[in-house]
Amino acid sequence: MGERQVSLVDILADARVWKLKDASAAPARPVWSTGKSSLDARLPGGGWPTASLIEVLTDETGVGEVQLFLPALAACQRNVQDGREVPWLVWIAPPYEPYAPALAQQGIELGHLLVVRPSTATEALWAAEQALSSGVCAAVLLWLKGTDDRWLRRLKLAAEAGGSLGVLFRPERHRFESSPASLRMVMSRGEHEVRLDLLKVQGGRSGPVDLGAP
Amino acid sequence: MRSAKSRTADLFAAAEYRLAESALPTVGRVGALPASIPAVSSAPPSRTPHTQASQTPATHPSRPQRRQLWYAVVFPEMVRESSAAVLQQLCLHAQAFTSFVSIEAPNALLLEIRGSVRLFGSLPRLHADLDACWRQLALPARSATAPSTLAALWLARAGDLEPIEDIEALAGRLAKVPLVCTAWDDEVLQTLRAMGVTRLGELMRLPRAGLARRLHPARVQDLDIALARQPAPRRAFVPRERFRERCDFDTEIEHVAYLEKALEPLISRCAQFLLERQAGVQVLQLRLRHRTAPPTRVPLGLASVTSERRRLSDVLCQKLRRLELEAPVRGMELISGPLRGLPASSIDVFAGFAGAGSRDSAPQLVERLRARLGEAAVYGVCLNPEHRPEAAWRRVHELRFAAALRPKAGMIDQSMPRPVWLLNEPLPLSKPEILQGPERIESGWWDGKGVARDYYVASLRVGRKPAPALIGHLQGEGHAPSHPHGIRLWVFQDRHSKRWFVHGVFA
Repeated sequence: MGERQVSLVDILADARVWKLKDASAAPARPVWSTGKSSLDARLPGGGWPTASLIEVLTDETGVGEVQLFLPALAACQRNVQDGREVPWLVWIAPPYEPYAPALAQQGIELGHLLVVRPSTATEALWAAEQALSSGVCAAVLLWLKGTDDRWLRRLKLAAEAGGSLGVLFRPERHRFESSPASLRMVMSRGEHEVRLDLLKVQGGRSGPVDLGAP
Repeated sequence: MRSAKSRTADLFAAAEYRLAESALPTVGRVGALPASIPAVSSAPPSRTPHTQASQTPATHPSRPQRRQLWYAVVFPEMVRESSAAVLQQLCLHAQAFTSFVSIEAPNALLLEIRGSVRLFGSLPRLHADLDACWRQLALPARSATAPSTLAALWLARAGDLEPIEDIEALAGRLAKVPLVCTAWDDEVLQTLRAMGVTRLGELMRLPRAGLARRLHPARVQDLDIALARQPAPRRAFVPRERFRERCDFDTEIEHVAYLEKALEPLISRCAQFLLERQAGVQVLQLRLRHRTAPPTRVPLGLASVTSERRRLSDVLCQKLRRLELEAPVRGMELISGPLRGLPASSIDVFAGFAGAGSRDSAPQLVERLRARLGEAAVYGVCLNPEHRPEAAWRRVHELRFAAALRPKAGMIDQSMPRPVWLLNEPLPLSKPEILQGPERIESGWWDGKGVARDYYVASLRVGRKPAPALIGHLQGEGHAPSHPHGIRLWVFQDRHSKRWFVHGVFA
C-alpha cells in the first residue's frame, strides 16, 4: 500500500474530483434583478439565479417574503421575445389564497399563473418537481413545513433540467440542515425592519443584507 | 401508364374550367372529407374541387349558382319520431355518392351531385344508382334532381321524377307542382287556396310585392331559391366519429404495470386515428373488463384538445397507477369522446428538436398534475370587475392556453395597495396601528352581501393582542411575536359595527 505512484492524471480521471474548469465552462445563466440594488449587489451576476433552487427560511407570513420575488417574476413574464410563449408561474401550497388584484397590480400575468393545492407534502414536492422540469414554467414557488434533503436534491436537479427557478419557503428551524439550494436565506422581523440574512450564496458572500436601502 | 398523366391533365382542365366559370375561391375544407367510407376517400381527385364549390355557395350571393345540381330524396313513410337518427344513418349511405349531403327535416335528404355525375358516367346512371340504394334498404323513396335545393325537394314531393339539368326548364316544370308540396304552414296554404291558387305556376304569376305583403317575404324568397335565382347555403352532414377499440388478453392481468404495457398499442392506434383525421380529443374513457364484475370505467379529461400520443399515454398511465384493481382484468377498451378540431398552433414540426426547455407543453403539465392531485387542486386565478375585495377575484378551472388576455388597464386599480394574501374570512382584531388609508369600499347592497368598510394598511402591534387565531396563523409555530415591526396587514373597520377586521397580509 502507498507504494503506487498517484499521478495527477489519475486523480483528475476520478469522477469524484470536481474540476473548477467544468464549472466555468458552463454557460452563464441569466439572472433576474431583484429590484433592490442592495440585494442585487450581493448576488453573483447581480440578481436571482435562474435554473436553480432558492430556499427562504422564515417562520412568519407577511414579512415581504413574496414581495422579494414579485418584481423579478413580473419582469420575466413581461420581457418575452415576440413569438415565444409567456412563461408560467406555479404556486404550490401557498398559505393563503393568492389575491389576484394584488398580483395584477404588480404586473403578474394572471393568465399564466397556476395555483396547485396538493393534499400532502409528498404530493406538493412531486408537483414541484413536475413543474420545474417541464420547461414551461419560469418559476415555481413552493411552501412547505419541512422536507428532507433527498427531495431538495431532486428539486434542484429538476430546476436545472427545466431551466426554471424554484423557490422554497420553509420554517426557520431548518437553517442548520444541509441543503443543496444554491441560495439560502433567512427572513425575520428585526427591531425596526425585516432582516434578510444570506446563509449560503453559491459564488458569493453570505451575511446580512440591508433591505431598507433602495 | 397513360391514365395517371391524363387524369392529372383532366383535373387541371376541370379546375381551370370551373374557376373560369364561376370564379370560386380555391379555399376549402378538404380535411373535412369524411374518411369513414372508403369509397369516398378513394374517389378520383377530380371531385375535390367541386366539393369545395358546393360548400361555399354563400360566397357569391349576387350570381345564381349555375353549377349546382341537387338530388332530393323524400321518404314519405318515415316515422317522425325516429327520423333524425334514421336520416343520419342514411346520410352515411348517401356519402358513397357525394361528399355533400344535407338533412332536410323531417324526412328528406339533399345531395349535391354535380361533381359526381362525371364519376358515375352520366346523370341518369347516377340517379338510378342512388334510387337503387334506397330500394336495397327497402325504403320507399321518391327522388328528383334539379339545379336548386327547393326545386328538387318540391319536385320529389310532387312525384315528378324526370331530372332537370337546365335552369331554363325549371320554371316550366315547377309550374305544375301543387302548392302542398312546398310544406309551408297551413295558414299560408289556406290563404292561397282562398285566393284560388293551388299550383306554383299560378303563384309565380302573381306580383312579387303583393305576395310578400300578403304571405311573408320568406315565401317569395323560397320561390327565388327554387328558381335558382338566389343561393341557399346548406349545412353539410358531418358523420360523428369516435375511436373505439378493444383488446382482449390471453391471460388475466392483475397488475396495473402490465396494463400500462398492454395499453401502449391501443394508445398508438388512437393517436394514429386522430392524426389521420386531423382531429383531437379532450375526453377519453378506458373500460377494463373483468370476468364477472361489471367493467371498471376510467374517465379521462385532458386540459386541451390533443392528438399527441405522449400526452394521451401520460395521462392514462398516471390514472392507471392510482387505480385500485378490484378484480383481474380480462380485456380493455379505449373509447374516445367526440372528435374536435385541433388548434393550428399545437402542430409544430420542430417540436421534437427544440431541445431542452420545450419538452412539455403547459396543458400537458396541467393534465399530469390534475391526473394525480385531482381536478380541483389545480386552478388559475382571474380578476372580477367588482369593488368588494373578496369578490374581485375568482378561481378559474377552465384554463386558457391560447394567448393570455391581458387585463384592461382600467381593471387594475393602482391607487391603493392590495395584499398578496387574502384571508378566506376576515378575522376580528383590536384597533391596529394605521400606516396608510383609509380607502372606503361601499358596495354590493343589491345582492344582500353589502359591505361598508374603510380599509387601511396596518402594522401588527405587540401591546394589544390581536386575535390569537391570527397570531397562530401568522406565526406558524404559535409563539407570540417578539418584535413590533414587520408584518403589514390589510385591515378594515366595519362602518356599521365599528369593529376591526384583518382581511389580508402583505407578504
